[in-house]
Amino acid sequence: MVQTIKLVFSNSKYLTISFIIFASMFVGLLILSEYVFLDPYVVSHLPPGSEFGLVLIVILSVLSALVIPMNIFRISILKGSKQKMSGSIFGSLVGSIAGACSCGPIGFAVISTFGSIGATTTAFLTNYEIPIRLAAIAILTVTYFTTVKSLKIECNLDS
Amino acid sequence: MNKKALILGVIVIAIAITIIASSSTPSETVNLDMGRTHGSISTTMGSPIFGNPDAPITIVEFGDYQCEMCYRWFHASKPQIVENYIDTGKANLIFIDLAFLGKDSLKAAQATYCAEDQGKYWEFHNMLYNSQENVDDGWANSERLKAFAFSLGLDMDLFDSCFDSGKYSKRVQYNIDQAKKHNVHSTPTFIIVGDNQQKQVSGAQPYDVFVNVFDSMI
Repeated sequence: MVQTIKLVFSNSKYLTISFIIFASMFVGLLILSEYVFLDPYVVSHLPPGSEFGLVLIVILSVLSALVIPMNIFRISILKGSKQKMSGSIFGSLVGSIAGACSCGPIGFAVISTFGSIGATTTAFLTNYEIPIRLAAIAILTVTYFTTVKSLKIECNLDS
Repeated sequence: MNKKALILGVIVIAIAITIIASSSTPSETVNLDMGRTHGSISTTMGSPIFGNPDAPITIVEFGDYQCEMCYRWFHASKPQIVENYIDTGKANLIFIDLAFLGKDSLKAAQATYCAEDQGKYWEFHNMLYNSQENVDDGWANSERLKAFAFSLGLDMDLFDSCFDSGKYSKRVQYNIDQAKKHNVHSTPTFIIVGDNQQKQVSGAQPYDVFVNVFDSMI
């Protein structure tokens, strides 16, 4: 497993992609979930009871930053199938939108645009934010292990 | 002559009917200050003022009773603001509904004004934020809102007639329109109004942010 990670991330291109994915997801989700505010002052805030949500954001960002570059590597270098790539994108996307709606500007825009359908969707994503994020983490974890396994086989790496 | 007397009689009867009709439901009259504004915001249809009406700072909160972030602010930041600024007369608070999250958000907002008719707006408001659960999962449906009113000791005949008739639906809609007019697109959003200036704070921001904004205005 370590060998596989080394193989992918020894290339600075994939390391850069990984860093960009992690930073953009982590910072974006911190802002959307109101752990960080930019206006009128830049402040961070961790209200009591919201610690678990922060942990899930960290895990989600790390897994996305790990799995997506590995799949880009598989597709571009090894010409592997795109199936696992779609799994990783889906996991990241679902995990991100789970907390993005709620009562913030995205939720407001969705409800204003799509009316009752938007409201129902937003309510679902808000009410089940934690289970949806856990499911997204599960998808990314499964994708990670299957990607590592296929890279081992495709690159003939010894475990 | 007879025609004039007939018209006069009709007018007198109409006035008498109006007086009788309005006096039969004295607790349902709406006590609104039609010219009330704070900064650029018309707060006429918002909540009653919480705290000293002459305070140098007014916090206008745009919120939804089903919004998790509003709940978070209510429990994390508001208590210190109430203790250090509202109870000391330095600031007051007005709540304006931006009820957009679900169908029960509108009902909950209307119910608060029915409670206001009986002088218990803020008690009802606090009860809602202490009882919040998931969006539209039934915690703020009509039956539960009536149960909240009952537990606050409100006159249930008055409350039910107010709530069931949708008496305050236009008031809530007016408040939503006010929010949109001021480009408020999320809850909670606060517009803090001081002397000749107002600042917007979006989100359930911590107490320290509000202190800094207040200090910059005093």
